[in-house]
Amino acid sequence: MSRKWMIWTVVPALLVLLYGCPKKKPATPPADLNVETTTVPAPPVKGPEVVQHVEEPAAPQVKDQTEDPLTSQDMQIVNSELQRRGFSPDVYFDYDESNLSDDTREKLSRNADLLKSQPQFQITIEGHADSRGTSEYNLALGERRANAVKDYMKSLGVADTRMRTISYGKERPVCTEEVESCWSQNRRAHTVITGRSNVG
Amino acid sequence: MRPRAAILTVLACLLLAGLALLAQQPPAAQAPPAAPQQPGQVTLELNRGAQARKIKIAFPAFRGQAGSPGQELEQTVRHDLDYSGYFEIQGPDALSGLALSGDVQKDLAAYRSTGNEVLLLGDMRMEGDKLVFEGRVLDLGSGQAVLAKRYSGPTTVSRRMAHTFADEVIRFLVGKPGIALSEIAFTSDRGGAKEIWVMDYDGANQRRITSHRSTSMSPAWSPNGESLAYTSFFNGPPGIYIAEIGSGRKRPAVTSGSFNTSPSFAPDGRHLTFARSMEGNVEIFTADLEGGNLRRLTNSSGIDTNPAWSPKGSEIAFTSSRAGNPEIYLMDSEGTNQRRISLEGTYNDGAAWSPEGDLLAYTSRRDGQFQIAVTNVVTLETRVITSGPGESQSPTVSPDGRKIAFTSRRDGKNQIYVVDLDGGNVRQLTTEGSNDLADWSRSVPQK
Repeated sequence: MSRKWMIWTVVPALLVLLYGCPKKKPATPPADLNVETTTVPAPPVKGPEVVQHVEEPAAPQVKDQTEDPLTSQDMQIVNSELQRRGFSPDVYFDYDESNLSDDTREKLSRNADLLKSQPQFQITIEGHADSRGTSEYNLALGERRANAVKDYMKSLGVADTRMRTISYGKERPVCTEEVESCWSQNRRAHTVITGRSNVG
Repeated sequence: MRPRAAILTVLACLLLAGLALLAQQPPAAQAPPAAPQQPGQVTLELNRGAQARKIKIAFPAFRGQAGSPGQELEQTVRHDLDYSGYFEIQGPDALSGLALSGDVQKDLAAYRSTGNEVLLLGDMRMEGDKLVFEGRVLDLGSGQAVLAKRYSGPTTVSRRMAHTFADEVIRFLVGKPGIALSEIAFTSDRGGAKEIWVMDYDGANQRRITSHRSTSMSPAWSPNGESLAYTSFFNGPPGIYIAEIGSGRKRPAVTSGSFNTSPSFAPDGRHLTFARSMEGNVEIFTADLEGGNLRRLTNSSGIDTNPAWSPKGSEIAFTSSRAGNPEIYLMDSEGTNQRRISLEGTYNDGAAWSPEGDLLAYTSRRDGQFQIAVTNVVTLETRVITSGPGESQSPTVSPDGRKIAFTSRRDGKNQIYVVDLDGGNVRQLTTEGSNDLADWSRSVPQK
């Protein structure tokens, strides 16, 4: 035991004293440095199917318990019938504004009368913005526009509980060219029948 | 010497060298090794002069063969060092006129003769299926190696190896952390729906994080770089979700109510600040990562959105239209002391902090065009760093504070670009689909 200890410590020390450390080969660059090997690991393999697996499933768009979702065909029929009677699905806004113009108030007044005569329908008011500015600010602007319409409809007697708002900001443009004639079409609040009330 | 004695001698020498190095190791907490301890170190003015002038570096072709992973590795080291802006690099072509013997010690004068201060040497080879790379930096004044690193790993990580070494070189020669291992989150509609994507800082390795097949946007890194908060419409109204990058898991964070958007992680990593609709108007709120402990921070008649926590956590920048047009404001983290920062331009939005917390970059409308402006939050001195048409917007600052990634549609569609803080060196990172809302990771993720 003690002999082995001698071999691994004292003997090498003596050898170093005797011979010195071995010289570097002249061709290699000076490597008398802290060359520590870093093992670079492969990143965890994430195939698309793995991502798919953990993805939360998309839930149905309409979740309210008091609402009976209409089929898309039903909705189309109801919405076009309302429009035939003078309903204006879209009202428009100035740049970076959520104020309702006199013209818009007139349209919304007609909309309110029609909706009050059809109390079985739930409506969704979408807020939209043109493409200028950040996505985030335009989402907030769309939220203001949708709520400006909702508040006005409420003041005209449409029940609060029938109205839902959602802002899409600049994410769902009806026109995609970068010109004013296109931007003005995207600065809108869009009112649409999305369901039927179960209550009553 | 007999073979056994020779082995013992070498072992003893290695042991001694190891002990000497251990004794020279700086304490672990001491971050950038500004002044290495070895004799013959690169002189200090080289370190300190990095801001004022570029370090001249001779960078001959790497030696050895490691196939295309080796080529990629060498190209990536070159790109990283060049892109960092700290170096003036003389590559193989510029060095071809020199009469080199191949013996580094004899060639020092030749390398120096064209103004170089340091020499970067790389050796690469395959060991089985492993790629092995050794990188060295020599001070051309003394001829001493001042930095030497060896890396080994599968060929698939050649870029990562290169980034790791490039960041080591920058840390050693400049005394600042590199950004080659940082990542940029962004939105892309390639493939149809707008999803959250992540890419390496140089635009490589673009990969999809979400697949909600709806509209997902506004990715925001957690401080440790392990997860992203984002806004998604996949469950109907816009809500805030968190994606863990490692596991791929997604979970809801703030989804109550009809409108929760624009998340920003607090520096503690345990709270989110975001825009939420309150009686029809959008205000800034804060909550924990499960949406609990909801607190309102703003209360104005205008829109308040796009919050961004300062790196030190004492302040929050945000956009408000309380004075008519959207403008950049600051408030203390509790919502107090709200004050306007942007004074020029008619439309200012989407502030992003520099890592030092001294600058805010944001979208500023100038002469009818959106540009990237940078304001010093103390002096309010403001510079516009982009110009021309193309609607430059939604900036994010690199972790070293030297670059800004932003969106522009100067080439028709929205794409992510990077520009130096002084407005130079513009590079395009994305080309496929329409890409927007970049968020640069705050620190390099520990993997």
